[in-house]
Formats: sequence, structure tokens, C-alpha cells
Amino acid sequence: MKIAITAAAVRCAAGTALIPPTRCYASPHDEAVALQIPGVARVDGVLEDPRFPDDRKGSLAAAVLSALPRPPRDARVGLYLGTGLSSLTPDEVARDLYPHIVADAGSRHFDRVAIARDLAAHHPAPRRHQPERVTSELGKDLGAIVTETSFSACAAAAQSILQAARAVHRGDVDIAYCGGHDSMLHAIGYLSFVVLGALSPTEGRPFDRQRDGFLIGEGAGMLALRREADLGPDDAVLGWIVGGGTSVDAYNVTHPHPEGDGAALAMKRALHDAQLAASDIDYVNAHGTGTPVGDQAECIAIHRVLGAVPVSSYKGAVGHTIAAAGAVELALSLGIFKSGTIPGTPGLREIDPELPANIVRDPTPGRVRHFLSNSFGFGGQNCALIVAAP
Amino acid sequence: MTRSVHVVAASLFCPAGIGTGGLGPARPGVVPDFDPIASGVSRKHLKTMTRAVQLGVAAVHAALANAPGWQDFPPERRGLFVGASPQSGDAEDLVPALAAAGGDPERFARDGLPLIPPLWLVKGLSNNVLGYASAQHDLRGDNGNWCDERLGGANAIAQAVHAVAEGRVDIAIAGGADALVGAESVVGGPCGEGAAFVVLVAGGPEARGIHAGAPSEFGVEADFGELGAAAIPVAWVRAWLRGGAVNVGGIRQDG
Repeated sequence: MKIAITAAAVRCAAGTALIPPTRCYASPHDEAVALQIPGVARVDGVLEDPRFPDDRKGSLAAAVLSALPRPPRDARVGLYLGTGLSSLTPDEVARDLYPHIVADAGSRHFDRVAIARDLAAHHPAPRRHQPERVTSELGKDLGAIVTETSFSACAAAAQSILQAARAVHRGDVDIAYCGGHDSMLHAIGYLSFVVLGALSPTEGRPFDRQRDGFLIGEGAGMLALRREADLGPDDAVLGWIVGGGTSVDAYNVTHPHPEGDGAALAMKRALHDAQLAASDIDYVNAHGTGTPVGDQAECIAIHRVLGAVPVSSYKGAVGHTIAAAGAVELALSLGIFKSGTIPGTPGLREIDPELPANIVRDPTPGRVRHFLSNSFGFGGQNCALIVAAP
Repeated sequence: MTRSVHVVAASLFCPAGIGTGGLGPARPGVVPDFDPIASGVSRKHLKTMTRAVQLGVAAVHAALANAPGWQDFPPERRGLFVGASPQSGDAEDLVPALAAAGGDPERFARDGLPLIPPLWLVKGLSNNVLGYASAQHDLRGDNGNWCDERLGGANAIAQAVHAVAEGRVDIAIAGGADALVGAESVVGGPCGEGAAFVVLVAGGPEARGIHAGAPSEFGVEADFGELGAAAIPVAWVRAWLRGGAVNVGGIRQDG
């Protein structure tokens, strides 16, 4: 497989990183470091898209997709999006649920009939928990003949990119728009990660001796993919997707395999798919969330499969963009090919000596022929993508 | 590399019944006599599964039970492909938090949120069928989870066909699960629940081949009401169990 990335665009807490087809984004890492802040990793300046009221992640997806070039006339287009759970926002709680608590013989419960009646009245088409509606609406804009919505938790965007690349490779479509979008910056989103023990009360610092979780981020990342044979002389190539692999931990819905078995299998599959040796990979963009067990398992897996390859993570700067992470971080990594710099790990101060990986704290000069990007999700789903230099 | 792909087993849970008992007339509503524990769902995890997830996990279990020899394939070569809608944690679990807030969003944030069960959000993840079923049966290979309404189950089966044909897995379990009973007012019509999965392997010239094409046909059975991500797999498996030519949602089987 050798599929061209002809354009890419990102919105994340590190700012807008539009990667036009004529040049690579110069230095994503510098901007990411400058903007790292404790607290919310929020994208400012996103206007609500009227098609997606109260759905911030839908607006993020629309904004980023609109930054990519439109498809050529007569091209068969596919849209492959990774998406996340649209949970309740405080507004929805107040509007849809508060009024319907009833006391009954000393207990409290919901008047479900009243809730359903009001939801139907307010939203003639069911709106909540319909993430596929974003894919469908944006697919219509593009004239897409195929739309797929991947829900693989934090591996969703990476899986969508891999499915899109395979569809282009098979010839199902001529151009694939792919990536992911998510925003869980609301009360229940926060709480959910706090009670799971995944959220840091201070800051994101992947691979640090003192790491204690991640910050929630939000964002969207999108790529345009085409076959090499379809490229014209003026088409730019930001990188080539040459392989990918997926796996399932088959271990625990909320905890990774402690030895990183599933992650290692995904990376091995990606190498096999790309017909590359471990020594061909010059950099790993880690999932690197900053949770104690997650970083440990990933480092073990990387060491087992790829040895002492340089490893870093963007999440200390952009937060964990959940379902969007695989696309946001892969797109940011494309800048490596032009800059000749292996990114450091924002937020990281003291590398945890117990982690068996070659972790890069500060940006380092280095030529990268291929990088591998990891994404792992609740449910145990893992995805590794390999991108070759243009 | 491409290989021929064949269906060797299937499972069916729909409002008409379970297994071949589900081949009767379509009607909306619940799956009659569905007992998750008796259907292979772990008692330990039952409380953290929505009804749709219970149906999906049971249907994966049943599909594999109908496929003797599936354990001969190494775990890394077993794929799982699922169509499922995002779920909701049980709304009743929010009642204590909302009651503590008394209608005040600030009090909800301060006093209410800590009263919500820790796994409330996780319970709502669309990929829970995949997470629980893969752990139960040691399915570690290629995988995916799609939430594209009715198209979700069709996308899952189509991608499983590709995975077997392209040699990424040697056996794939693929289908969809959903439970929409109770959402009639929101959906705007009758609703049902169900789950159906097929087991796909490579080779076997005696079997009928299965192919994935553009998902242009939505051959759902309207009399079930809205079955969501289960709609196309249920229609597909009912047709397959009857032995007829199958061409639903772009997934075609030779007649």
C-alpha cells in the first residue's frame, strides 16, 4: 500500500495547523510548547455550525474539513470519520432532564414518557447520540458515495484513516477524506474521566516520573488521500501511508494489557502491512496519554517491537482529543519530514527511568524516513499507522 | 492477496425469536425470552452493559458456538467487526445527582456529579460489544466498530469480508446489535431490538461465496420497526438461514 496524503488540516489546542497542499506545516512542536497550559485544552474561535447545534465536535469537524481542497470533479469520494460519544452537556441536563424528576412513594425517578415526548417535540429527528449525522451531512457536501463512522474510542480517528487508505488502495473510491473529531469539554465528560482516574489534576506530562493522567482536549484532524497513479504534476504529497495494523487487547474494557500485548500486535501488523523492518522506523508518535499504566504498557510494547526508536507525545500540549487524537497527532507529525526535527514531549520534565523506551523530551534534529503513530482506545482497540516521507 | 470468503455460521436475536426460532413473521418489540446469562453473557459484567450490548455479546457467543473449530485459529487471526449505536448509561443513574442539584446547574456540578456512577459514561461507548466479546473469546485480530445507524452493521460485515479476503484474519465475526424499544417517541415509529452476527472464513469451495460491494441496498425488514445497527444483519441472517440468495446492504452471497 502506498497512498498519498495530499492535504491535511488540524484544529487543536496548539492552534490552527492548516497544512496546505503546497507546503508542510513548519514546526508544530514549537507552537505546541508555547501554548501548553494547565487546565482545559480548548480550541477557541470555532463558530457553531448551524447544521450541528449544541454539537461542538460537529462544528469542529466541519471547520477543519472545509479547510481541505474540494474533490476533483467526477472523482468518487469517500468520507471516513472517527467520532466520540456525544454525552450530555449541562444545557441538555437542565433542559431535558431536570424537569422530569418525579417523587414516587419516597423514591425519585424519571418520567420517561414525558422525557420522550419533550425530546420528540424539541428535536423531531433524534439528535443526541447520533454522531453519524455529522458524517452524513459532511458527506453530502462532498458528494461522497461512501461514508463510514468509526467509533473505536480513542483509536477511532486512526482506524478511520486506515479504513480510508485501504478503500483508496482497493479502488473503492478515488479520493478519501478521513480523520476524526471530538469534544468532551463539559461537566459529565470531565467527571467521567476523573472517576476513572485518567484525568490529571495538574497538567499533562506523558512519560514523566510524576505523570498522573491527561488533560481533556478537543479538536479535529482531517486528511485527503489519493492513489499515487492518480496524482497530477501539481499535486503535493505531504507523506505516504504505507501500512497500518489493528488489534484488540481482549483483556479489559478500561485497562490496557500490562505488557502491551495488544499494542505490540498492532505495531507488528503495521510493519508487516508496510513490508518494513523495525529498523526502518525512525520515530514513534506515541499515544502517550500520561496515565501511569498506559504509558508503561505502551513503552514496553514499543521496546518489544521497535527497540530504541525515538518516542514522543503531543498530548502534554494539545490535551487528549479522544476520538480525534489519531488524526490530530498524525497530521501534526507530518511536519517532521520538512523540519528535520523529531518533536519533544511537551510537559515532560523528568523522564521516568522505569519506562523502557527512548523517550524524547526536547526537540532533536533527525532525519525521519518513516514514522509510526499509535492510537489506543477503551474497549482494548489498538491501531498503528506508518507514514513514509514524501 | 485476495481469497474467497464464506459464511460458516450465524446467530440471530430478533423480536421474532432467537436462532431459527427467529425466522417467524417480523414484528417490533423486544427479543422474547432473552436471558443474557443463559446466552453466555458474563454475570460479572452484566451491570455495566446496556441491553444492546448484552444482545450483541450474546449474539457473538452464539455465532461462535455455531462454528465448530473456531478455537483452532490463533487469537491474533480472529477478527471482530461490529455495528452498534452509541448507548446511554441508564438515565435513572443520574437521578440522585439531579435531585441533589435541585435544578441548579452549579449545584449539579458541585453536589451532583460525584453521585454519578463511575462507569456511567463508559457504559455508553458504542464499542462495548467489541470490548466485552473480544475479551470473552480472546479475539485479538483485525477489528472495527461502526456507528452509522442502519448502515453500521452492513459496514461491519463488508469490512470483515475485506479483512478475510485480504488475508488480515483467518476468521471474522461480524454483525450488529441495537436496542431501541422505549425510544418510539423519539424515533417516530415502532422500534425493536436485536443482534445478528455471521462467522466468515476463507476458502471452502463447497460453500457459497460472500462479497462486499457498494452499500446501495437497504434491505431491512420494515415490520421489525427501527432496529438501528442490527437491522441489516438481522435481515441478512434471516435470509441466509432460509438458504436463499442474499443481497442486502451491498453484501452479496452467491445463490
